[in-house]
Amino acid sequence: MRIKILRIIIYSAILLVGINLFYIQIIRGQRYFNLSVHNRIRIVPLKERRGRIYDRNGVILADNRLSFDITVIPQDILDKERLFDFLSRTLEVDRDDLLRRFDLKRMTPFAPVVVARDVDKKTAMTIEENKFLFPGLYIQETYNRYYPFGTVGAHVLGQVGKITAQRMEEIGDYGFTPSSTVGYAGVEAYYDDYLRGKPGGIQIEVDNRGRQVQLLSLRDPESGEDIYLTLDQRIQEVAARVLGERPGAIIIMDLDSSEILGFVSSPSFNPNAFTSSALQKEVGRYFTDKGNPLLNRAIQGLYPPGSVFKTIVAMAGLDTGKISADTVFDCRGYFALGNRRFHCLHVHGRQNLLEGIYHSCNVYFYNVGDLLGPDILHKYARMFGLGGLTHIDLPFEEEGMVPSRLRRKMENRGWYRGDTLNLSIGQGDLLVTPLQVLRLMATIARNGRDVQPHLIRKIGKKNIVRFSTIRHVGLARGVYETIQKGLRLAVAESTGTARHLNIDGLRVSGKTGTAQSVPGKEEHAWFAGYEVAAKTKIAFCVFLEHGDSSYYSVRLGKELLQELRKQEIL
Amino acid sequence: MQRHISLLIWIFTFLIVAAGLVALYSASYHNPRVSERIFYDQLWIALIGFGLMFYVSRIDYHKWYDAAYFLYGLMLFLLVLVLISGRHALGAQRWLTIAGISFQPSEFAKLFFILALARYFSGCRSAISFRYLSFSQSLWRHLIFPLLMTLLPMFLIFKQPDLGTALLFFGIFGVMLFISGLEYRYVFSMLLLCLLSAPLGWFVLKPYQKDRLLVFMNPNIDPLGAGYTIIQAKIAIGSGRLFGKGWLAGTQNQLNFLPERHTDFIFSVIGEEWGLLGTVFLLLCFFVIVFCGLRIAEQVKDRFGMQLCIGIITIFTLQFVINMGMVMGLCPVVGLTLPLVSYGRSSFLISIIMMGMLLSLSRKRRVF
Repeated sequence: MRIKILRIIIYSAILLVGINLFYIQIIRGQRYFNLSVHNRIRIVPLKERRGRIYDRNGVILADNRLSFDITVIPQDILDKERLFDFLSRTLEVDRDDLLRRFDLKRMTPFAPVVVARDVDKKTAMTIEENKFLFPGLYIQETYNRYYPFGTVGAHVLGQVGKITAQRMEEIGDYGFTPSSTVGYAGVEAYYDDYLRGKPGGIQIEVDNRGRQVQLLSLRDPESGEDIYLTLDQRIQEVAARVLGERPGAIIIMDLDSSEILGFVSSPSFNPNAFTSSALQKEVGRYFTDKGNPLLNRAIQGLYPPGSVFKTIVAMAGLDTGKISADTVFDCRGYFALGNRRFHCLHVHGRQNLLEGIYHSCNVYFYNVGDLLGPDILHKYARMFGLGGLTHIDLPFEEEGMVPSRLRRKMENRGWYRGDTLNLSIGQGDLLVTPLQVLRLMATIARNGRDVQPHLIRKIGKKNIVRFSTIRHVGLARGVYETIQKGLRLAVAESTGTARHLNIDGLRVSGKTGTAQSVPGKEEHAWFAGYEVAAKTKIAFCVFLEHGDSSYYSVRLGKELLQELRKQEIL
Repeated sequence: MQRHISLLIWIFTFLIVAAGLVALYSASYHNPRVSERIFYDQLWIALIGFGLMFYVSRIDYHKWYDAAYFLYGLMLFLLVLVLISGRHALGAQRWLTIAGISFQPSEFAKLFFILALARYFSGCRSAISFRYLSFSQSLWRHLIFPLLMTLLPMFLIFKQPDLGTALLFFGIFGVMLFISGLEYRYVFSMLLLCLLSAPLGWFVLKPYQKDRLLVFMNPNIDPLGAGYTIIQAKIAIGSGRLFGKGWLAGTQNQLNFLPERHTDFIFSVIGEEWGLLGTVFLLLCFFVIVFCGLRIAEQVKDRFGMQLCIGIITIFTLQFVINMGMVMGLCPVVGLTLPLVSYGRSSFLISIIMMGMLLSLSRKRRVF
């Protein structure tokens, strides 16, 4: 009967258990007993190597350096008091502090507790020389993230830190899981899944003096994959030097492929501070510094674009047919609306579109904007990517905001004609990031071809090509040509607002912008444009937060390009 | 004969519980993670448990038949409830707190499940059904429907996540299905189907559950984590040798190498402190219980009783075999407790109630 069969199965299982018990406890019993007597099994975590980050020329931007941690294995400690006395003296740390932290971090008797991270060579040698006096004390080799160029390009790279504790909880309570290093900003975060490896470990049997007798079990750590960026570190250096301590951002992009060649934001920070014990104090400073060094102004800074926006107004006007290149408006220094006056910086007199652009005449664009109305302005702004993400391969990008009548209605505020006028010259509620402005210029330069700005070239051995998406912003015939002409004249004409960028041997086009910020603070200074004569065609944007006048951003742009030429990078 | 069986069950249950308490005292002795309170906790539960066992043994098991489907419904309700509002511990939601008392619904689920399944299997195989059902109708009634009855709670438990108990349900279903008299060809095709679809299960597992299976096959994979715990457990048991190290003298356990020694790994405490004598003794006690249970199953008067009895034995056996196997490195670590020994109120109570039910069943056997 079936119960008989079941009986046989169950009895067999029980017998199996019994036999196994006999095997473990009698046949191998003595061996296990020996292992237990002196707790002779040690575990040693093996840290994984994180993937390196290279620039386009193979220069290493983020690397791993060997560092030494001082660890204590609780079960091996013979004389706790003496050990911590010694440690306190050698590490120059308060003894009670050290003890307290040790007790807090201690999990199980066999898991090594890190009492000091990344110690200098002298300390490491002192420990190494004396560790035979203090059973339980070990030096643990590990990898630490290292950025050879410090503050240059820090925002693109980002920083790393330890993984949070809650991830560990899921593993439950069996054994010991070493913590991994994980990226928290920039490319370190965006490509963390590729960069991150897997930790390994070994189990060894030791004799009563702690020397290895046998390797019981080994799991090799897995290295992360290296990634290659489109950045050119030489350009980064120049850009960082030119920008200096001034708050702002400089972005340089290859015009054809939209590969980002240079990307700096200032004030900057040293990402090494997050992993190096020597620089640790800096971290606190970064978080409290009012200058906000951790902010990546290129993609996270939101500012009114000012006159740069006039390019969009012009294109909207031409494309809708509301104006033509020959449309003339008379600038008397102001535009009258009711009993208010909207001002222009100079009295420009009668101007056509091109003149309006290269003189950056407010009155001209008040007129155009007034003709078009807020809805059309909103539409064209969105068409060129303002108010939306560029989806660059960096985390925490900001969208910015293009004001609209609809939104105002939802907020129960009205839209007034004055708002349209403000919008026409890039003021009001309009907020953009320097990267969005750059993208706008590049699209114009390429006759409407909008290519995905990106930082990645290769992951491991695989080239990333599929990544660049293409979109076309189609406008009526001749519109782009006209605008491009205007932008070129801004540099080439003797009265152009960007005339200082007229450098011999280069063909620069672009638009300046001076945007009002908040009352009491200086205006923001913009220049965004492109250069097509050098061996690499580029688009670039120079932004100075509270820079006072676009004159300064233009001058900075000039310094930048001249320096790049001098070093034959361009 | 009847008297003897009942007596055997009482004696050996008592012995198991006593051994468990002794081991538990040691496991909680110098344990920084749990206080010695758990010993007293378990002691109280044990006393209450024996009372419960007596009470249950006096209840006619046909009363369980009447309540079976209701209890099945209650089980589903509780399992859903624990998923929604259960207490989180060790990364799992297994406990429910009602009126200040917290318990594990999945433990109660085991009992209610076998009641419902036993009732179902006892009813579906009447003489009529053999003759007048078509193949597909027969398949549905004898195989598919009870399979669904099983998959439902299994899924809910798996979601907690509690892989071990979920798999236990499937094991119980398999055995009870076999006993229910299903034609062999269906049994084998079921088995085949399971073996073939098991690899699919791989994709449903959480990463750490996958790790546990992988580590079982090759402890080298995780030398710091589970691979370390397994070897420590083996060392603990093995180092006990024949006579053990003595009560409270188990170094591996006293020195905190096995964090879960008061629950999943309690067998390692017994192995270390009482040696082979202790472990084989405990194994024999379980054997006697199983022996008695199978006897009862052969002799009980109706199908329901038999199915129920087999269900109880299956739960019991699977749990202790897998738990001991886990601790010895024979099975992957799936988190099944050792019945009547591991610390855990719900687990203990259900186990002892099941002992009571065995007693109740033994009273209604065919007397020769």
